[in-house]
Amino acid sequence: MNRKLLAIAPLLAFAFICIFLYQGLFANPREIQTGRIGHEMPAFTLPDLMQDNKQWTNEALKGEVYLLNVWGTWCPTCLAELGYLTKLREQGVKIIGLYYVQGYDADFDGPFDMQALRTEVQDMLERAGNPYQFNILDLHRTLSLDLGVSGAPETFLIDKNGTILLHHTGDINPRVWRSKFAPMMQELK
Amino acid sequence: MKWLLFSLSLLLTTSALAQADRYVFDTDEQAVRFEELTKELRCPKCQNQNIADSDAIVAKDLRERVVELVKEGNTKDEVIDYMIDRYGYFVHYDPPVTPATLVLWVLPVLIVIVGFGFIVIRQRKASVKQTWSNQDEVLLNKLIEQNKRQEQS
Repeated sequence: MNRKLLAIAPLLAFAFICIFLYQGLFANPREIQTGRIGHEMPAFTLPDLMQDNKQWTNEALKGEVYLLNVWGTWCPTCLAELGYLTKLREQGVKIIGLYYVQGYDADFDGPFDMQALRTEVQDMLERAGNPYQFNILDLHRTLSLDLGVSGAPETFLIDKNGTILLHHTGDINPRVWRSKFAPMMQELK
Repeated sequence: MKWLLFSLSLLLTTSALAQADRYVFDTDEQAVRFEELTKELRCPKCQNQNIADSDAIVAKDLRERVVELVKEGNTKDEVIDYMIDRYGYFVHYDPPVTPATLVLWVLPVLIVIVGFGFIVIRQRKASVKQTWSNQDEVLLNKLIEQNKRQEQS
């Protein structure tokens, strides 16, 4: 009995390793658990991207379920998801943009030019669709750091009380929306 | 030889201080704390680099935040907790012991224990004394005799 068990032990070990590695094939290394889920939006006061003298705070955003979409014109994946996000807006999803400022080359970029950025953003949104109610400008990426953002695009789902329910890294497409966001949106209704 | 050692040591010191040199700290102790932290904190974007190594913009932001926090007089653990609050356990190269990570600590020890147990059991089996009675002796002699006769004939 003992011998038989010993004989199949390598086979069992092999099967175990196979299952373990097979799982790895479908794991997404970008999918990392961030610290902010279940917590309230961190406090911030940041300017509007398009209007002078307009400031946004976390208190001002409370009261409605919304998506906070971290994006930038420098980011090709963000451009790719604009179309689908615009469709979501047409379906009644409230989407707020958090503009993540980053030069094409972080170390060699010139001084920040607000006017140039506004023109660039306007051009892109006219071409690809505008899903945003408005955009918050995170010039020094401080709110992004507080939210645990590592790049763009990233999207947060925030409920009426300002609690962060989801943090998605990567683009939003129909598949991601169906599997990740839609069930939660349903619950919130 | 002396010169070689000397120049090698120069190489080592410059690389160790290169990071802290870019930022100015009030005390050496703060500079050391910053050095240690940037090596232990992991870049969330370039996943196999620490934030000292990575050129990603988020790594730069984290480095600058670590400088601020260290200058404000936060201890190493406080800075690490600050980052974990935002980026999750992922951001630190030393994961905490939780039910999910327990296997990392237990498995190696378990393998060593099982391995040694296996060796000890085998050793014991091999060293068990064999029984040898007079009857066996008689039987053996008989067989030897038979064998001899067969060879002679």
